[in-house]
Amino acid sequence: MATFNSRRRFCGQILAAAAGVAAPTFSARAQSKKIVYATWGGTWEKAIRGAWFDPFTKKTGIEVVAIGGNTYGKFKAMVDSGRVEWDVVEVNPDFQWIGQKDNLLEKLDFQVIDTSKIMDGQHLITPYSVPQVLWSRVRFYNTNAFKGDNHPKSWADVWDVKRFPGKRTFASKANSGTLEVALIADGVPMDKLYPLDVDRALKSLAKIKGDIIWGDTNAQLEQFMKDGQAVTGLVPDGRALAAVDNGAPIVIDYSQSMMTWSTMVIPRGAPNRDGAMQFLKYAMTPEAQAAVALAYTYGPVTPDAYKMIPMDRAKILSGGPQQNGKYFLADEKWWGENLATANDKLNAWRMA
Amino acid sequence: MATPASWMSSRAIALLALPAMLFLAVLFFYPLGTLIAYSFSGSGPAANYQKILANPVYLQILQRTFTISVATTLICALIGYPLARQIVAASPRGRAILLAIILVPFWTNLLVRSYGWMIILNPKGAINQALLALGVIDAPLALVYNTTGVLIGMVQIMLPYMIFPIVAVMSRIDARLVIAARSLGASPLASFIFVYLPMTLPGLMAGALLVFTISLGFFVIPAILGGPRDLMLAQLIEFNINNTLNWGFAGALSTVLLVATVGVYLVAQRWFGLGSIWGAIAR
Repeated sequence: MATFNSRRRFCGQILAAAAGVAAPTFSARAQSKKIVYATWGGTWEKAIRGAWFDPFTKKTGIEVVAIGGNTYGKFKAMVDSGRVEWDVVEVNPDFQWIGQKDNLLEKLDFQVIDTSKIMDGQHLITPYSVPQVLWSRVRFYNTNAFKGDNHPKSWADVWDVKRFPGKRTFASKANSGTLEVALIADGVPMDKLYPLDVDRALKSLAKIKGDIIWGDTNAQLEQFMKDGQAVTGLVPDGRALAAVDNGAPIVIDYSQSMMTWSTMVIPRGAPNRDGAMQFLKYAMTPEAQAAVALAYTYGPVTPDAYKMIPMDRAKILSGGPQQNGKYFLADEKWWGENLATANDKLNAWRMA
Repeated sequence: MATPASWMSSRAIALLALPAMLFLAVLFFYPLGTLIAYSFSGSGPAANYQKILANPVYLQILQRTFTISVATTLICALIGYPLARQIVAASPRGRAILLAIILVPFWTNLLVRSYGWMIILNPKGAINQALLALGVIDAPLALVYNTTGVLIGMVQIMLPYMIFPIVAVMSRIDARLVIAARSLGASPLASFIFVYLPMTLPGLMAGALLVFTISLGFFVIPAILGGPRDLMLAQLIEFNINNTLNWGFAGALSTVLLVATVGVYLVAQRWFGLGSIWGAIAR
């Protein structure tokens, strides 16, 4: 959901990028009465329609049209060609820097958007973005493989393949927490992870190289949890919760988890910039944050929202009481600036 | 063979080709030119190409891309050729059934098929569980998350591209030529090697070229079914387009892949005369 862009739209993007012919113009759009929201789609889109779009339209009279295909490539193609169709786009937080570097983002108007309710956290808010929701990468273990109390309780345990045999799963993208937990397993404290020592992380990861089953997509990670192909590993909390709901024999462990967030930006040259600001203002209210946390398993970015969330719901959300003091916040600025280098090193490690 | 020109003026032919030419110009050659132009952007005119040479990982991935594509092509040829012969020799009904078997997966979404393979081939999947239950194997076979998995997935997808050109050529071969060879004393093997195979070679080559060039651009299959070392260049290009927005470098990687592919094509043309291949299929 909040990660892994779809690769299938890739070819279309190249065409749109290169020729600018595939993008119809929307000059005739009624500027103030409609915004276009580019989303990851799926069940997430349904959740935000109910939690955000409909109430926002009721309050402001501005209609929200959701559209899929919110990849970085398409984003750049649109802004560079001057044919921007989107007003608000949900992206991964590294885009706060990647998009800024390529001059693709509109500065947010914090006279309109009230950020005072948003939790403290490094880089959660930038001049170009506000955090959308919180989510985490968490450790899980399979209860068929590890009975009773004999299960991995730390990343160091996950690295102990003799005591806890079986495949470990990690997402294959460089910025999916794998390098971070490899460092934790190697003894680096959670508050000393960044700037990431990629070489040391890969050296640590090499110790279990043959025991890893890589997931290229979140659907794969969920499958590995369900059918037991992996007995432990690092997975997005939403996918782990979905697997539990579907009867997977797994337990989620929030200790040494990595918290991150998804973010919302306005493309430079968005047709309805003012409407987009209004929308972001609405989405940053504790009420809207509580509504989305009830509709989908992501945590609110405004702590006040917990006043409106029942306890049994709160304790499965990122940032909820069960995760208190047990997580580290991903340094997405570091990732935004170092993704390419880290990816090259990871690929070289894979090929070796 | 009646040439089209015998009943149609060359100007009319040019006019008919115009929409296709315009289509290619706008949707292929223009984007391609832009892509190549991107590849020369950056800190220096050839900075992106220097970057490719500076880090061995890129050439390793290029090499891996070619190795996987060649292996896919060879396996497709070994499976596809006998199957094509079977299709040509079958009764109309048998032919329809065989074609359906080949085409139905062809119409299924690539991602769906890849997940299907993942579920069937994994250590806890149907194939391994069946073989274990039958006592054929003692431990699960490593059929997926490695190069084997990539090849299984790619061969299944690429087989129709191999089979159809071969069928097109085979179905136009006069069966009496083989009978004549046999009646003149050639063994079944000799009549196949010296009479039948050379006549079908254009179809085989056309199929091989299609399979090879399309395989070079794969990225979903190696990502889902492959192991750590099964990185293909398209995955790297996609990463640079969609994750880091380094379109200059993506353009350079694409150009290198394109040049290498055209190189293979030219070699094939020199050795096998591709003109006769396409002619043999179109005839």
